Amino acid sequence: MIEHAFSAAPRPAAVPHAARPAVSTIQQWWVLTVRMITPTLRNGELATQVIGSIVFTVGYYLPLKQLMGAVQPLSSYAQYLTPLIVLQAIWFAAVSAAFRSATDSVQGINRRFRAMPIASLTPLASRMTASMYRCCIALAVSVICGHVIGFRFHEGVLYAAGFVGLALLIGAALAFIGDLIGIATENPEATAPLMLVPQLTLGLASVGLQPVENFPDWIQGFVRNQPLSQWVYGLQALAGDSTDAAPEATWSVLAPGLVWAVGCIVVAVVLHARVSRRRR
Amino acid sequence: MTVTAAPPPAQAPHRPGGRHRMRRVWENSPRRLIPQTWVLTARILRRWSRDPATLVQSLVMPAGFLVALDIVLGDGIEKVTGHSGLYGQVPLVALVGGMTGAIIGAVNIMREREIGLLARFWVVPVHRGAGLLARLTADVVRIVVITLVVLCVGLALGFRFEQGIPAAIAWVFMPAMFGVALSAAVLTLALYSSNTIVPQATEIVIAMLMFFSIGFVPLDQYPGWLQPIVEHQPVSYTIEAMRGLALEGPIAEPVLWTVAWSAGIAAVCAAPLAIGYRKASKRG
Repeated sequence: MIEHAFSAAPRPAAVPHAARPAVSTIQQWWVLTVRMITPTLRNGELATQVIGSIVFTVGYYLPLKQLMGAVQPLSSYAQYLTPLIVLQAIWFAAVSAAFRSATDSVQGINRRFRAMPIASLTPLASRMTASMYRCCIALAVSVICGHVIGFRFHEGVLYAAGFVGLALLIGAALAFIGDLIGIATENPEATAPLMLVPQLTLGLASVGLQPVENFPDWIQGFVRNQPLSQWVYGLQALAGDSTDAAPEATWSVLAPGLVWAVGCIVVAVVLHARVSRRRR
Repeated sequence: MTVTAAPPPAQAPHRPGGRHRMRRVWENSPRRLIPQTWVLTARILRRWSRDPATLVQSLVMPAGFLVALDIVLGDGIEKVTGHSGLYGQVPLVALVGGMTGAIIGAVNIMREREIGLLARFWVVPVHRGAGLLARLTADVVRIVVITLVVLCVGLALGFRFEQGIPAAIAWVFMPAMFGVALSAAVLTLALYSSNTIVPQATEIVIAMLMFFSIGFVPLDQYPGWLQPIVEHQPVSYTIEAMRGLALEGPIAEPVLWTVAWSAGIAAVCAAPLAIGYRKASKRG
């Protein structure tokens, strides 16, 4: 170092500043997003996404139709169950988000990105875009599956759009949590099982399968207030029913679900910032 | 005295061609297989026991899942069958816990192939079967541990063995039988693919085996056309055998079917698994 300073005139920089190409954040984001999305078309990820949504639909509907169909208030069990199926499908999409982010972390490509002239949030933004793409597919497939078993939107286009919007917001929250788990554990092996079992546990202990009155007294508080149940209430309200038994789509029904989703995103963002700062 | 008694310096007989200087045991001799498998198994188990995510997945999550399953479906099943739903749910959760763990092993082997560890093992004189055998042995240990954890939670919820101690011991090892066959299948899949499809495809298979089994809801709750499939799939047979071993019911027939399913899957996977492992070890 010191020798260098004494030796001669400063060396010319390897790449002159003027010769550096201009970087466009939008273009970088697009390139990184395409990097995540293109392989899904080739390696079967898209296919597993579609099949997964179908499996969750028939897996809940066929076995539970008789057992639970009699105790739910809506006109058909399909109408009652579909919000939960949608949630399970977008959770399943978040599992692959977690897997991808853990793979990226462990293979060191995130570190590589940090050494390049890329805005620090661009890789995260592109991962989230790819997650939302998976989420949209999961939502579309599960709504189609629901339609096949007898689910309908009864409240018109506006409420159907609200249904989609709420589902996408929840999908974003879950994808953020998945991304956080992937980055924090840096362990692709553990991400899938780590997210699958809460998915099934919270799914079972929610109002998506049967009304809260059918649970034992001591756990009703948890079942009613856990996020998945509040999201189910919101989605059921926005989908409506041919009878009047569906919850009304009022703010008092929708707000807790929205708060849960936004709260999850906020907490995940804070933890995300902390984890990525630790890594730096 | 001491000088003369000192062991002679290593006197390796000169063997042209660089043969082994140590005992003349062929590297693929069965005498090497067991100790080497044990070393490699211990390596995998030690890694798992030090990874918090694996521990949470194997020990905490199945417990929570069993409690949720019992709360949601327990009453309904008891109304329909007259027995506590636990006799189907405890085996089901043990099986699901064991099967989701197969994903851990699969992703693990893919990563060790990428970083070249498998190739490293291949160039040292290790028995050629030890690597694979160690993975399956570690899976057996993992599934038995998960079964014991789930059993403890089940006992707390009201599950009891009514057929005596030998049946209870057999009960503990039943999930491992099908679980390890499924692990072999998932490992085979992992060795022939290089992308993220393995965990998700496995998850889908596990979800299907779980939803359409007699441990989820009783057989007569399924639509008529589905009942034969539900009745004859391996998870249902394992659960039926375990119900027989714990509560009442046939034992011999479902056990035989479980063995047949496991042996069938193992037989189909054996050759591709060995070839795939050899190929993965020779990469790079």
